[in-house]
Amino acid sequence: MLLEVRDLHVEFRTRDGVAKAVNGVDYAVDAGETLAVLGESGSGKSVTAQAIMGILDMPPGRIAGGEILFQGKDLLKLKEEERRKVRGAEMAMIFQDALSSLNPVLSVGDQLGEMFVVHRGMSKKDARAKAVELMDHVRIPAAKERVKQYPHQFSGGMRQRIMIAMALALEPALIIADEPTTALDVTVQAQVMDLLAELQREYNMGLILITHDLGVVADVADRIAVMYAGRIVEQAPVHDIYKAPAHPYTRGLLDSIPRLDQKGQELYAIKGLPPNLMAIPPGCAFNPRCPMAQELCRTDEPPLYEVSQDRTSACHFWRECLNG
Amino acid sequence: MVESIIEVTGLVKHYPLTQGILFKKQVGAVKAVDGVDFTLNKGETLGIVGESGCGKSTVAKMLVNLEQPTAGSIKYKGEDITQLSGKALKSVRRNIQMVFQDPYTSLNPRMTVGDIIGEPYDIHPEVAPKGDRRRKVQDLLDVVGLNPEYINRYPHQFSGGQRQRIGIARGLALRPEVIVADEPVSALDVSVQAQVINLMDRLQNEFDLSYVFIAHDLSIVRHISDRVGVMYLGRIVEIGRDAEIYDHPTHPYTQALLSAVPVPDPEAREHRERIILAGDVPSPTNIPSGCRFRTRCWKAQERCALEVPALAVPSEFRLTSGPAAHDSACHFAEEMQVVPSEGPAGELPRTPPDDLANGRE
Repeated sequence: MLLEVRDLHVEFRTRDGVAKAVNGVDYAVDAGETLAVLGESGSGKSVTAQAIMGILDMPPGRIAGGEILFQGKDLLKLKEEERRKVRGAEMAMIFQDALSSLNPVLSVGDQLGEMFVVHRGMSKKDARAKAVELMDHVRIPAAKERVKQYPHQFSGGMRQRIMIAMALALEPALIIADEPTTALDVTVQAQVMDLLAELQREYNMGLILITHDLGVVADVADRIAVMYAGRIVEQAPVHDIYKAPAHPYTRGLLDSIPRLDQKGQELYAIKGLPPNLMAIPPGCAFNPRCPMAQELCRTDEPPLYEVSQDRTSACHFWRECLNG
Repeated sequence: MVESIIEVTGLVKHYPLTQGILFKKQVGAVKAVDGVDFTLNKGETLGIVGESGCGKSTVAKMLVNLEQPTAGSIKYKGEDITQLSGKALKSVRRNIQMVFQDPYTSLNPRMTVGDIIGEPYDIHPEVAPKGDRRRKVQDLLDVVGLNPEYINRYPHQFSGGQRQRIGIARGLALRPEVIVADEPVSALDVSVQAQVINLMDRLQNEFDLSYVFIAHDLSIVRHISDRVGVMYLGRIVEIGRDAEIYDHPTHPYTQALLSAVPVPDPEAREHRERIILAGDVPSPTNIPSGCRFRTRCWKAQERCALEVPALAVPSEFRLTSGPAAHDSACHFAEEMQVVPSEGPAGELPRTPPDDLANGRE
């Protein structure tokens, strides 16, 4: 395994109390594999990613437990200096909003080249040449001229390509993409996702794709982890989950999206709202919104049940759910 | 015979680009909307889709008279609202209301929910006499599925989905006939989106509303719309009934747009043909000659650079009565199925019991 997250807990101290953002997350990614982490805002999907990258704001954030094994070593035990060598070189992140992630007063060439200057000790001139090469690689037309331009001179799709180029610069083993196409239009989204998938194959990288878009997931993922209130409620190969979800939350999500190829009557809607992370309901966190909830769900937190060899569900009644 | 309620003809909005400080001289224009025609029928939902920058939001603003068009007319029940002023304008505005995209910034954080929803009554006191307002506001809260006792709360005490319900209640306050909704669910989470869409569906029947529903999410637009118009660079390139547009698109841009939408079904991954467009949308300050889509179109020929294609039923379909016979602005219109055909009927969506669907707290 390239990356294994084991029983990760992250909390935030706020004036109003402790917000438990991540409550025991386990997932793993292999080289060449795409794991999609699906969840709504506040489900802890981005916080988990930030903890893996080591870019969590601490304080107020605090890693309250667990391990993050990357190529066999526990990242949480490394010193900050050692982590900095891993970050960027061996694992890299692509953010949602390219415009605010790029520095507006530096040319894109300088920003791309900086990776090589800092991590590889290259001269500025060599780094610039590398930057042009990278921009060519992510298919930015006229890379030689555009390398001198600033982020605001690029369109949204082009900026996201630069973010991808920057993440790929040092050929990392793992890429975490946090909603990489959410800010883009559909036609550009398709271009960018295609590029990302192609480069992943080329470099045989592990990819963690964080998203809330069930359509994007179906298009590119090998496996899916569905998060709710800081836990993974279901994890399965992509085909299995769309065919028959083993958790009522996954089922609700799948049923509540309108589809392009079907005109339905009324949409299924999951009742209620996601829980407040400072007061997660006892038992199963989803129980107040769950159509299948029983007494057991209000008292006992469900463990991760093994549905099949490569599939888990955190629902006491996963069998009933699986059978519809 | 269907009764039209809004008729838009030749709508144009150009924002001038100027140079110089004292003697401003116009050096060009951002052609945000560049000749749009459509009609909205009574009781129907017209969906408008398009990518960012195509002018769909500018159209929405002109419909509710927040922007003055550069040219063209918007007729509400036969009366051109762009020419109205004073009392007549005020009464038209009462009948065309808007729901905004971002429920976080479109509600004043210093006003209570009761004041926000009741504010339209200050401008149109004839709708609700002073003493009656509180009850009216509470009724509205109830209608949109919020607890009427929340009337004295502030926006920050609500979640995104609940705030959008407040925005919708404000839009309904004056009992308008038309609601223009500009991306009303795009800021919401998936599970909450469905609640708001269902609410809008229900209100349409209850209050006999006509919707102009603007969004970039094609799946949501299909779900809610009776007719759909596809915009590109300030113009409608194709318009028709939802099945005509989604199952029988004839304009290459619509085809590319539809094929790019990810379908939530991994089985469809292999046997889906995707059209990936090259490049980006051209700048609206410098629109290509002829057909404005030709720079990204795989079918473009010389004729496309010279002649502007009209929005009409393409000649090859004119004599047929099939679903391909709808307005499409392309010289080389061809029918193409890009969305995989429907799965077994009745499998999705499952309809939950009513009390679940309302999502009431």
